[in-house]
Amino acid sequence: MNIAITLNINGKDYSLDVKPNEILLNVLRDRLGLMGTKYGCGIGECGACTVLLEGRAILSCQTLAFTVDGKKITTIEGLEQDGELHPLQQAFIDEGAVQCGYCTPGMILSAKALLDVQPDPSNQEIKQAIRGNLCRCTGYTNIVRAIKTASVTIKNRGRK
Amino acid sequence: MSSTRVISLDFQCSMPHSLDEALEALNQEGAQVLAGGTDLVNNIKINAVKPRRLVYILGIVDLDYVSIKGKTLSIGAGARLGDIEHNRQVSTRFPALCEAINVIGGTQIRNMATLTGNICNASPGADTPPILLALDADVEICGAKDGAPVQRNRVPLGGFFSGPKKTVLNQGQMVLSVSLPLPPEHSGAAFRRLARVSLDIAKINCAAYIEREGDRIRLARIALGSVAPTPVRAPTIENALEGQKYSERLFHQAAELVAEDIAPIDDVRSTAAYRRQIASLLVREALQEAWRRSRGEG
Repeated sequence: MNIAITLNINGKDYSLDVKPNEILLNVLRDRLGLMGTKYGCGIGECGACTVLLEGRAILSCQTLAFTVDGKKITTIEGLEQDGELHPLQQAFIDEGAVQCGYCTPGMILSAKALLDVQPDPSNQEIKQAIRGNLCRCTGYTNIVRAIKTASVTIKNRGRK
Repeated sequence: MSSTRVISLDFQCSMPHSLDEALEALNQEGAQVLAGGTDLVNNIKINAVKPRRLVYILGIVDLDYVSIKGKTLSIGAGARLGDIEHNRQVSTRFPALCEAINVIGGTQIRNMATLTGNICNASPGADTPPILLALDADVEICGAKDGAPVQRNRVPLGGFFSGPKKTVLNQGQMVLSVSLPLPPEHSGAAFRRLARVSLDIAKINCAAYIEREGDRIRLARIALGSVAPTPVRAPTIENALEGQKYSERLFHQAAELVAEDIAPIDDVRSTAAYRRQIASLLVREALQEAWRRSRGEG
């Protein structure tokens, strides 16, 4: 039995048929070609598969696709606007917060979910927000600093 | 060999929009409730469970609520842990519950997972049952068989767990809500846990609730997780405390009695010996914080 669902991903509508056992992560990567979302541990511990569901960070590897029918999803591909990187993406580059890059999409989306509700986060709030995102090479110091930097950029620009 | 990238098991799914539809679907053979999925999806991936049908209940808007009515906090089966944790009324009246929720997974997990799911999963080491037991929670169970009217009944959380990963729920039944009495004035609660790193499952966790009358302990409820086949209350400690006048020494001595109430085992996360040794310290810390809170001292 296939289920017809519609998804709004990064502002674009998609209609597709999914099987009950299809995982959102694989729909994004294998069927829609949105490779920015990563498969890490597959058991909800590393945060590499993080996407935003209605603006909140969730794990796409733990989400059955049929359960998000009709919902709005943001992946890392949706952050750049008109060829310009999102301040978080730019800050990750500027602060050297990317090394292998595998955790970066999830890390940035968790940070975006935070900044959308808390534009001026403390270091503690940043650490809380990315607690579910593991980085195994860059180290968290630069990542926390990049998120802080992005929050300042966004405030100065008056743009999210 | 199981993969964590794809699910190889085939199953059907139901997307009910009302409780009646959900209960009807749950009566089908091999049907199981799917809520946040943070435990269930993993368990399916590793072939630990093999449902024939998943009944996704988070599409039922009526189940998604956190509300205080009269002297009771009610949390619907659809309420995500994150919604409960960030609810101002809950964090004001039940700070220890929010602290227990906050240690569960990362932000993403708490945005997905439900409190009811944490209970129904019935892990002996789950982080919310001890504090819910200490706060005297009960659960509302419902089910309907063969077109019969929906049966609803409440059971104390203490009678809900029947073994590791086992509850009293029968096929066709689900939990509708969890209810907690609002704590009276001069009461306090606290939660403590020990894990290797913050995202780990607890080696041991515990919670304490105290009602104070002047400098005496009028009532105490202590509960622990990861020290028995199910989360457990600690009646020996409770009896040693109730009616007694507060002193550091009393808490120390009462906490030492914890061995009477627990039956820990060796497993991947810790040893029985360590758990037995550390349990009294955690209980003592939880008691001290609950007492401070009962005096309005944070």
